[in-house]
Amino acid sequence: MSKGLKIELEKCIGCNMCALICSGSHVGKFNPSESMINVEDVFPEPGVFRLNYCTQCDEHPCVEACPAEAIKLDEALGIYYVDKEECTACGLCVDACPHNGCWLDPSESYVIKCDLCGGTPKCIEVCPRTVISRGE
Amino acid sequence: MPTGYTGKILRVDLTDDKVAVEPTNMDWAKQFIGGKGLGAKYLYEELKPGTDPLSPDNLLMIWTGPLVGTMVPLTSRYAVITKSPLTGTFLDSYAGGYFAPELKYAGFDGIIVKGKAAKPSYLWVNDGKAEIRDAKNVWGKDMFKTEELLRDEVGHKYARVAGIGQAGEKLSRIACVTSDITRNAGRGGAGAVFGSKNLKAVVAKGSLGVEVPKIDTFMEMAKQMLWKDVVENPDHAGLITDGTPIIVDMSQDAGILPTNNWHTGQFDGYQGIDSDALKTRIFVRKKACFSCGIACGSFAKVRDGLFKGSSTEGPEYETLGLAGSNCGVKNIEAVVKFSEDCDRFGLDTMSAGSAVGFAMDIYEKGIITKEDTGGLDLRFGNEEAYAKMPEMISLRTTKLGDLLAEGTLRAAKAIGKDTEKLVIHSKGSEYPAYDPRGSIGMALAYATSDRGADHNRAWPVASDAYGEGDPWSTEGKAEICHDEQIMKSHKWSMIFCDFYGVSDENIAMYYTAVTGLPADANWLNAVGVRVWNLVRAFNVREGFSRKDDTMPDRMSTEPLPSGKTEGKTVSREAFEKMLNEYYALWGWDEQGRPTKKTLEDAGLSDIVGTLDYL
Repeated sequence: MSKGLKIELEKCIGCNMCALICSGSHVGKFNPSESMINVEDVFPEPGVFRLNYCTQCDEHPCVEACPAEAIKLDEALGIYYVDKEECTACGLCVDACPHNGCWLDPSESYVIKCDLCGGTPKCIEVCPRTVISRGE
Repeated sequence: MPTGYTGKILRVDLTDDKVAVEPTNMDWAKQFIGGKGLGAKYLYEELKPGTDPLSPDNLLMIWTGPLVGTMVPLTSRYAVITKSPLTGTFLDSYAGGYFAPELKYAGFDGIIVKGKAAKPSYLWVNDGKAEIRDAKNVWGKDMFKTEELLRDEVGHKYARVAGIGQAGEKLSRIACVTSDITRNAGRGGAGAVFGSKNLKAVVAKGSLGVEVPKIDTFMEMAKQMLWKDVVENPDHAGLITDGTPIIVDMSQDAGILPTNNWHTGQFDGYQGIDSDALKTRIFVRKKACFSCGIACGSFAKVRDGLFKGSSTEGPEYETLGLAGSNCGVKNIEAVVKFSEDCDRFGLDTMSAGSAVGFAMDIYEKGIITKEDTGGLDLRFGNEEAYAKMPEMISLRTTKLGDLLAEGTLRAAKAIGKDTEKLVIHSKGSEYPAYDPRGSIGMALAYATSDRGADHNRAWPVASDAYGEGDPWSTEGKAEICHDEQIMKSHKWSMIFCDFYGVSDENIAMYYTAVTGLPADANWLNAVGVRVWNLVRAFNVREGFSRKDDTMPDRMSTEPLPSGKTEGKTVSREAFEKMLNEYYALWGWDEQGRPTKKTLEDAGLSDIVGTLDYL
């Protein structure tokens, strides 16, 4: 079983609070473009919200795709995270990911990918519809 | 520079094809905050009195506020500020959704546009830069298609687009500005101001973000407030479960649901357009604006029948009232189609619903015929004919559509035959969906609203028809309007959503947390007084006074026929009494003009010399 966020998408209202708190806590300002979770509003057809985030899938093709070995295992959490210092922003992991789980930051200098906030994801606490959980 | 402000505004001159970045006037921002207040200050200082709203000289502004883009809940709106082509007054019209934070993240507190482009154009705003671009690929297209095409053109899948459909292009005075397809700066005809400037849209994409002091503490505060003051606040419960359609049953019960062009206050088909109808027949999902934990909106879709496949966000109460019961429409599916087409073509559902209700009234009276309607049998409740009206008005097809595109009052004046008395409006803005004959304070609220009849400047109906107060007593109504206008003036300057029942103390707390500037409830009150007086001075300078703070005759001469409002009217005496009390509370003269002392007390000494009557 993957260790990433669990999402009940049908409950999502598209408020972006997850993206706000994620960017605030990771880059020190409110900027959904730098968030590790992003919300797509797709209306009127098909009339849904989508959340893009790293599911921490068991296959982690991103890790295999990375030529810089910048996607590293957090042994305590058992998840893979991006080491910003070593990431060359080549984008191969972005192409390899089948889940839209990672992407380049706006300045295209590193890849953004959920790190579960070190074990207590802040998006879970702020979501007003409890869409997000750890799922255990 | 205080945080929360980007400190930059965009100056766009479409005639000269020039864009410049200039500093936000922070002296003004400290006195007027942002949104309504700051926009009003710029408009007062820069717009020559008497300017034709549809001339190149009119200014078209889009403003954010200092809290936009932060984690402060329900602060995602932008204000479109201009001189209204519908009413000739100051106009501030707001939309939620996602556009406002995107503009802030792109680096701007606001945009000021003047002139007229030589050809259809749009403005592309991206991370501190902006350019005027050719809109030939989208001119003539509806807003659904326009948003899709402009996102492709700028190469950002989620660029945000605020623009106009065909109604605005064709200068309809009831055209809105639409963003995120279903979010509209609806009232007052700002869409026509876009159209008059050959401006199809403003497209924004930003990745600069917004900083606040001590962000970890700030986020903890904002999170706590989101839960305690928004999600768990009992005042928001009905909005969270139902949204505004919950008001349909309340108005039906109170006898103030406008029906068949305001001839009755109760509708026998109300159960077909109320919140239960929405939830059981068309509901798909709840939908929020950016930074909102309430999600008052419902994305809805018609499942079968004549309008199968139509969808909208809503319909909201005002649409259900004015474009539902007021048109005798008994099925919410038809209102969805009407609302969708208003979004698509860029019409204000409130004015459009009122205009169609009026047209049905004069059709049934034989004043207009199928010759005028393009063959439509425009009886009250004829959903098939009704559903064709937004397109007809927006494209100005048929003689009737062309007239109604000018707004209901101008249409009636052109038609003549005493039809003007059938138009329920103040200053040319059609009444919102609360009949004053069962909530007398609303007559005063409508008459004194700065942009023409409106429910978002004061809402006394909450405490009388929907509350414990006496709906027919004038007592205290002037005070309610006065106090709420102050509160809304600072709330719209900060730009909170109306639906956040946030206290002044908490607004001040948020403002200080974001900007680092001192604030308290007294200061906010003073800003509210300053802003409302400034806007009043703007309108007075444009020639408005007591003669324009009006109530339609039918409110005093035509008693409602049923329910709690049976036999009720609003007497002229009662109305004038409230108006006198109201002017006195504001410190205005008997013509409704701010006195020199009132302006000085409000911190507006600098405009005293600009007003001829002083």
